[in-house]
Amino acid sequence: MSNFFTVYHHLFDVFLIGSGYALSQWVVMRAGVFSVATAGLASIGAYCAAILTTKLGWPHPLSILAGTLLGALTGLLLSVPLARLRGVFQAIATLAFVQIVVAIGLFSDSLTGGAIGLNAIPILIGTKENLLALLCTIYVMLAISATRVGRAFEAIRQDEAVASSLGVSVTFHQSLAFGLSGAIAGLFGGLEAFQTFTLFPNTYGFGLIVAALSYVVLGGRRSVAGPIVGTAILLILPEVSRPLADYRNALYGVIMMLVIAFMPRGIVDTGLLYFRRRRLAAKAAMESQQ
Amino acid sequence: MSALVIKSVSKHFGGVAAVSNVNMEVPSGKVTGLIGPNGAGKTTLINLITGVLTVSEGSIHFGAQDITEVPAYKVARAGISRTFQNIRLLAEASVIDNVMIGFYRNEKTTTPASLLGLPSARRETAALRDRANKLLERFGMSKFADQEAGGLAYGHQRRVEMMRALASEPALILLDEPVAGMNDVEAGELGEIFRGLAKDGMGVLLIEHNVRFVTNLCDFVYVLDSGRMIASGSPEQVVNDPAVITAYLGS
Repeated sequence: MSNFFTVYHHLFDVFLIGSGYALSQWVVMRAGVFSVATAGLASIGAYCAAILTTKLGWPHPLSILAGTLLGALTGLLLSVPLARLRGVFQAIATLAFVQIVVAIGLFSDSLTGGAIGLNAIPILIGTKENLLALLCTIYVMLAISATRVGRAFEAIRQDEAVASSLGVSVTFHQSLAFGLSGAIAGLFGGLEAFQTFTLFPNTYGFGLIVAALSYVVLGGRRSVAGPIVGTAILLILPEVSRPLADYRNALYGVIMMLVIAFMPRGIVDTGLLYFRRRRLAAKAAMESQQ
Repeated sequence: MSALVIKSVSKHFGGVAAVSNVNMEVPSGKVTGLIGPNGAGKTTLINLITGVLTVSEGSIHFGAQDITEVPAYKVARAGISRTFQNIRLLAEASVIDNVMIGFYRNEKTTTPASLLGLPSARRETAALRDRANKLLERFGMSKFADQEAGGLAYGHQRRVEMMRALASEPALILLDEPVAGMNDVEAGELGEIFRGLAKDGMGVLLIEHNVRFVTNLCDFVYVLDSGRMIASGSPEQVVNDPAVITAYLGS
């Protein structure tokens, strides 16, 4: 029983951190930016926090805060050249950014430990802190969705020309989204650093790009619940498909393809839309009876 | 009093002059018409005014403000709203959300207040929702409030776009073929709305194909052909102008 708990307790932590990365990915996509920079921004947050504590002896909450701010700043800086790009070109440019971060991590041995990894990071963060950070992030994302900035994001995502014809600055809001994405990625990167002993540059490479993207695509791009449900499904899947060990990746691929083909809005958004349409249809039927 | 003054404005795309040396004034409180055959440069002119395209030569002033080089979102903030020739709604958003984004220009909520979801930000959102509902009522669209805008019938989509433009309470509204594809009764209804807006002091610039609609509605009409202003004056003057007849019917 205690074994069961330790296994799934760890999985829960992975889920909390994964949800953070998923929300970092989600918030840029909400503003109509096709960025995959989350992995690189998380790496910056993680290394910043770990280096400050292991090499300079900073207390870990301060290091995590610094990682968050550095992530936000990097996101903001990144948004300047990316403002001129759209769609798939943004994706390629941010992919290059992630590769640059990985390369810097690998080659600046003295600072990051290179390919051998940055070792002996104290374990100071647990489920409580992860959960607190995720709840705070969810609150901000819900607040955005319910107020002015969310409306601006939504307008930009659907039609930039319409948004700017109504006074919404596309550049400002996309920079804001990048900054938020960087802050969230940096925060969860910093948290992750204090629960893994060792950081490797490649932890924040192509694998994380694909993971963060699939959480959002699978769960949904509009509601805040989307990326979190997507993360839960994709992390629980390997556990429940353990008997199919050899075919796990194939199963993963098939599920992604089915969702993209039949629920292009993602599981949560498709579900919400279904219930909304049913409610509207019921209302219309009621009115026509009267 | 002139709301919008366009002085010798030209726009070249490579060697092609889409608009050349155009002078025009759109006063507030009046409905001004801009007509011309297909490809005359009407929509290009709208895009130059709204800052979607940059002017090659000339200047555009709005009130006391020079908006020649001003980007689109700042032109909108200065008080110029537009509708699009091919309706552009946020297709996935509900009708009421489409109208609410129109209020954006005059919202007081700051970005930090929005990010933190402060009570003031939520109160303003609730207030805007009420105002949007009132606007929907005025246009007889209340029962569509929660429907996806992309799924509405054509005429209803036009109304949503109009409501969105009005929600921003502009000083000047640019209507790019607002009655295209409508029958005379529907067009007449919208015409009444436009006249009402002008009476309330708004400047209205109406871009149209339909000469009859324009002559019935406008106080002053400009005629554009191949990027050049070939005539201007009262509707009666303009429709009897030989140059205009040639442009429309051929020589």
